[in-house]
Amino acid sequence: MATDFWASSHYKRWIVDRATLRQARAEDLQYVEDPEYFDLLNIFFANVISKLGKKLQLRQRVVATATMFFKRFYLKNSYCETDPFIVIAACCYVAAKAEESPVHIKNVVTEARLLFGGKFSSHYGIKTFPSDNSKLAEMEFYLVDDLECDLVVFHPYRSLMTLCGKPGNSAVLEAEAGELGVGIQDGSQSWGTGEGRLELQEGALQTAWFIINDTFRSDLCLLYPPHLIAITAIYLTLVIHSSTRDSIGLHSSDSSSGSNRRSPRSSHSHSKKPTQDIVGFMAGLNVSMEIIASIAQEIICQYTLWERYKEEKGEASARGSFATELQSSMSSGLKRTASGQLRAASVARSRDGTPVDSTQRIVGRTRQPAVVTPAFLAQLLIRMREAKMADMAHPATGRPMALDKRLERAQNA
Amino acid sequence: MLEDCANSMPLSQDPMRYYRAKRDNARPRVGDKYSILGFISSGTYGRVYKAQSKAADAKIHAIKKFKPDKEGDVVTYTGISQSAIREIALNREISHENVVALKEVILEDKSIYMVFEYAEHDFLQVIHHHSQTLRVSISQHVLKSLTYQLLNGLLYLHDAHIIHRDLKPANILITSGGVVKIGDLGLARLTYQPLQPLFAGDKVVVTIWYRAPELLLGAKHYNKSIDIWAVGCVIAELASLRPIFKGEEAKLDSKKNVPFQRDQMLKIAEVLGTADERDWPGLKDMPEYQNLKRLDHYNNRLHEWSTPRVKTQSGYEFLKQTFAYDPDKRLTAREALKHKWFTEDPVPSANAFQFLPTHQIPPHRRITQDDAPSMMPLPTANSHAQAAAQVQAQAQAQLSQLSQSHSAKGSVASFGSNGGGGGGHTRKKSRLG
Repeated sequence: MATDFWASSHYKRWIVDRATLRQARAEDLQYVEDPEYFDLLNIFFANVISKLGKKLQLRQRVVATATMFFKRFYLKNSYCETDPFIVIAACCYVAAKAEESPVHIKNVVTEARLLFGGKFSSHYGIKTFPSDNSKLAEMEFYLVDDLECDLVVFHPYRSLMTLCGKPGNSAVLEAEAGELGVGIQDGSQSWGTGEGRLELQEGALQTAWFIINDTFRSDLCLLYPPHLIAITAIYLTLVIHSSTRDSIGLHSSDSSSGSNRRSPRSSHSHSKKPTQDIVGFMAGLNVSMEIIASIAQEIICQYTLWERYKEEKGEASARGSFATELQSSMSSGLKRTASGQLRAASVARSRDGTPVDSTQRIVGRTRQPAVVTPAFLAQLLIRMREAKMADMAHPATGRPMALDKRLERAQNA
Repeated sequence: MLEDCANSMPLSQDPMRYYRAKRDNARPRVGDKYSILGFISSGTYGRVYKAQSKAADAKIHAIKKFKPDKEGDVVTYTGISQSAIREIALNREISHENVVALKEVILEDKSIYMVFEYAEHDFLQVIHHHSQTLRVSISQHVLKSLTYQLLNGLLYLHDAHIIHRDLKPANILITSGGVVKIGDLGLARLTYQPLQPLFAGDKVVVTIWYRAPELLLGAKHYNKSIDIWAVGCVIAELASLRPIFKGEEAKLDSKKNVPFQRDQMLKIAEVLGTADERDWPGLKDMPEYQNLKRLDHYNNRLHEWSTPRVKTQSGYEFLKQTFAYDPDKRLTAREALKHKWFTEDPVPSANAFQFLPTHQIPPHRRITQDDAPSMMPLPTANSHAQAAAQVQAQAQAQLSQLSQSHSAKGSVASFGSNGGGGGGHTRKKSRLG
């Protein structure tokens, strides 16, 4: 099981199609002006989970599992009928247990209260988070039920390390040291025949890792099996990680990455190793490159959207590598920027590539407040819930109820 | 009714109230789906009941109800235990002929109910039946069939990177059709790329009599081979009808430090001889190495032990290889299944009881009636939360009664383990009783 993704609950029950995703937001859609807010909320929630995870000193894999639990929960529930913040706390609490690195419930409650409603983190302004451990435990109970007790989650990190990790080498990566440090066991790949391992440079492996982190800010992890996301992250890394790109560009001019290698770069590219057959590697994976291409497009579009989401301090991500109009101050994590040429090339490719409904929609549109903040989205969530409650409080005859007052207060606040 | 909730409860105080009401209404209740036939056993985790599905198939199940958490007399939520999370998470992923199948999990009124396929017998019960009633040893065919199926289930778990960590006769079930089912994954865990050493999570694993020497010597890292050691102990117990290494457990001290299990180590040495660096190069790195050095010296007499009990030379060799001191030299489940022992007559069969005369088949699992109604409230109760609290209080009272009159009910084969290191003790008590 731990090795066989195809026999897992993850594959059998939790890979969904886009219609299911749309259906899951149907109720919420009545309370937002624009469905694009859902994409921004995806970023917002993932960031909140990541932040709480950091406070609790959870490892990246635990944070990823918590994010997955959160997303699965909201396949069955609506934002407007629930309090996503207590769901987030419960997801972190359960994920820590599911990944065998439990944290005490009291810590979760304390850190969650500080993060969501504390004096110094004003931007969520959630004052309703209960101080009582039993409320979080209660939420855990309902959460596990809604997750149908499927608590084992597969992540792209593992596929990445199986494909590109150096065997027996504790790779150096401060942020995720432990994660990468774990030795890869008998790299059993759950797909295809690909025997080969692609040796990525240290920095490139990190880029791929960060791209995977970023995919949890979209619905990709609900739509595609993790190994496809990992392969896409590798593919994008080959394109955007400059020294990797240059080193492979030197030898495989027919590389599918569309890398318009520029000569000045190639001069100081350090390719000491014998060339790796990238195309052969990709082909050997025996996966549909069309799917990889469309996942790649969605990832790129996600970064475009993300530019509109403004937080004081970014997460370690590969976002910088995709930066277009981003000011350098905003791009934390990786500072290596891809060449303008390449960026233009990949964006153009994504536009005329295979149709991907949601991404096309996002790319082609300019609207809404140009930049949204966590505070704005936190308020949006409260407004959605209050509007929903107000709707329910109105009987068919439509007599105004006390709830309206609260609604007004919230709106004035 | 849902609207009422929205009305009566201020949003700002409990934003999840509406959600919970909605979920509570949608959820099927245990009492609606199953009728309880009787009580099977209890342990630190909770209790196990025999139940019949109310669906058309009317199948028999074993329902494990985790003990609800209590603060004083009030049942409350305190968080699901790590052990329950493990058992639930692992069981949802696995499916194998020789591992007990989880049918469903029902979360209701602060309690967790795991519905398993029912198995009529278990290894402990078979051992008791032979030692107390039949007063003959278990036939070689039954012994090999049970062992082979046990290893087959274990290979599946190990291939899935799951270490069971609590294999013992009471946790290995057998259906009335003679099919072995490994049960109780409450201590089991995934070992694929652990985020922290296995030791960090659980200081003590495996009931003392079945605990591998590397664990007794304080190893911080261990692997699947601890299960193989336990299998060796289980086979030896089937063959001799009593535990092969029946040591006294040294208890944790007040600071929860794990003491050196001197007596258990001695019991092993009495049969296998004193552990030696020549056979086990890693031995001198074990935390308890100095304590081990202080023990008396013994010679290996496993061959003498085996001859009357497992009869054949290959049977002796099989035991010898599962009892290799060095974990790296121990048989793996895969190797064990290919062992010569299984190719010699009598060869194992898929129904372990295939050739048994009827009177030799162990009796049905005993269930008691008096405790049965306490499991859950009647499905009709409208204010079921209160009813549940009441009934659970009742159940608790009965539970404490039960533990006091332990010897009376001790002969009921325990369905599951008590988890953790304390298990052996309970087991011992039940034998005396």
